[in-house]
Amino acid sequence: MGETLLTVQNLSAWYSEQKRILSGFSFSLAGHEVAGLIGLNGAGKTTFLKVLSGLLPTFRSDGICFCGAPVDFRKQDFKLCRYTVFAEDNSFSYFTFREYLAYVCAAYGKEVTDVSELVQGFHFEEYTDTLLRELSTGNRKKAFLITAFALKPRLLLLDEPVNGLDFQSTEYLYQRILGYKEYGTVLFSSHILESITLTSDRVFVLEDGKIRQTFEGGQINAADIREALHDENDR
Amino acid sequence: MMKMTGKAFAKKLFGAKYERLSRTLLIDVIIFWGLYIAGFQVQVAASVRILMLSAFTAGVMWQALSSRDNAVELKHMLMLPHQPQEFVFSYVAVLGAYTVLTKTGLLLAVLLAVSAWKPIEMIGMVISMLHAVLMAAVVYSLRKYWYAGGIWAAAIVSVILFLGSGLLLDLLLFVNGFVAILILRKAEVYAFYQGESEKSHAVRQRKKASLWRYFFRYLSCHKNYMVNTAVMWCVAIVMPYFLRGMAGLSVVPVGFAILSLNTPICILLSCDRDLEQAVRFLPGQKRRFCIPYCLFIFSCNMAADMIFLLSWQMQNGGIAVSLIAGAVFFALQSAVLSVLLEWLYPIRNWKIESDLWHHPRKYVVPVVMLLLAGGASAWPALLYILLALLAVEIPVLLFICGRHPE
Repeated sequence: MGETLLTVQNLSAWYSEQKRILSGFSFSLAGHEVAGLIGLNGAGKTTFLKVLSGLLPTFRSDGICFCGAPVDFRKQDFKLCRYTVFAEDNSFSYFTFREYLAYVCAAYGKEVTDVSELVQGFHFEEYTDTLLRELSTGNRKKAFLITAFALKPRLLLLDEPVNGLDFQSTEYLYQRILGYKEYGTVLFSSHILESITLTSDRVFVLEDGKIRQTFEGGQINAADIREALHDENDR
Repeated sequence: MMKMTGKAFAKKLFGAKYERLSRTLLIDVIIFWGLYIAGFQVQVAASVRILMLSAFTAGVMWQALSSRDNAVELKHMLMLPHQPQEFVFSYVAVLGAYTVLTKTGLLLAVLLAVSAWKPIEMIGMVISMLHAVLMAAVVYSLRKYWYAGGIWAAAIVSVILFLGSGLLLDLLLFVNGFVAILILRKAEVYAFYQGESEKSHAVRQRKKASLWRYFFRYLSCHKNYMVNTAVMWCVAIVMPYFLRGMAGLSVVPVGFAILSLNTPICILLSCDRDLEQAVRFLPGQKRRFCIPYCLFIFSCNMAADMIFLLSWQMQNGGIAVSLIAGAVFFALQSAVLSVLLEWLYPIRNWKIESDLWHHPRKYVVPVVMLLLAGGASAWPALLYILLALLAVEIPVLLFICGRHPE
């Protein structure tokens, strides 16, 4: 793991003032690590990823720093350093995968690289020139995942990346997430314990909009995390 | 079961506490009194009133029936055990109530406020609206026999035009409505569910992304948007005939303003929430997305304006360069304002697509254009001032896009 990439202090986020989804949320991410977010439904995983993606303006924090400097999630400098794969995404549905990739690469100011290995790994060869709207949920997810790994941003945010993927593609995704440390940091949310234990250097267990427990290195095992989630359920 | 099905759809369309219904009815009353007190009156024949109410109601009902959001709702409802007949009637009843109370209600309020009518005619108007709801539902459920539906609808229009209004027409519409109910009793419930299209679009292998291609695909996949654009072009052809009697060439800007009314293409972000999320999340979209989008709307508007100018030249003559510059102004200014509105104030609180198609925000830009056109018609020098302002506005906006590309 490298130096600290992102720090968030005492973050609160809400959709309506009456109900805070995140509250007193503090955490940090190191460079070149894989961090997993796990929690029950409504714990705030997707909301946190939306805040980081600049899509939720209703939040407050005592300090957010990216590479040691204060950051605005909606500013171009930060946007160029991160890419998010959302749990459900039907955007740009009249582009084919190739066109979408070219469009996103242009937006990030990068050349379109050779993605044939990724396309093969995700078994996506047949669909590269099909409109995204005509793809199944799983294949659309693959299109966004391939784009994410081709883009290689410093911070890759994945919201429920395993949902909708077939067995082979899930295995390939785990390999890719593990290998991503070479390029940057991955923060991903998941309900699948296996996906977290197989790939993460650190695991954050979310409960009621806060991080309740953190597991690191050798502490990461399915039994302990399951117990933490059960405790959360019982509380 | 019928009650629960109806309630589920009604809550989706009218809000959890039916709050949307009272709000819309209040707006209708305000508009009625506002227009009534203003004393603005036009002569509208009873048959035209019936025809307007019928056509508008049937059109909105059709849009509601074919809405993609309803398809999602229907998919879940149809998965549960249900009584087909009860299901069809509660579904049609709720969509009909939504159409008549939240959409046609406004048209009715305007018609009642600005034209003279007798209380007895009110019965005919109510029957015509209910009849239109039933007809739209029946023809929709039997759309594989579209030609029969077309002939049936054409026959009704002919009867309305031929009979005008009165007891005989009311009776005929009532009987026809009853026939529609009988057909609906036998209607297959799955006929209302429009599943995913299996039609695959052959796309050539392309390695470059072009938003223009994206917009044209979008347009070609939304037949109603295509029809709307085609209708605007037809309006552009016939409008010189109607406008020439008014005030000669000075009225031409009004034509440009009317032709900026191709509103469906101006709500791309509002009607696609995922696309809106994507353009807000990806970097540099103010420039990469908004500028091509603005140019796309400009081209659509400009195409209609050019047809209008050609038609005017053939019918009346006298088109000068200044009018071509006027066309550029109205096409570009309306495109710029539409994109700015979409970027800054997208429409978010819509329940089904039909809400979006009749949302008042859609008409803000055409109204502004009409006001400017009115000014330019009364005082032609204003057009040059507007062109000069546009020449300043565009570089300023481009500069802002460059400075703040996010």
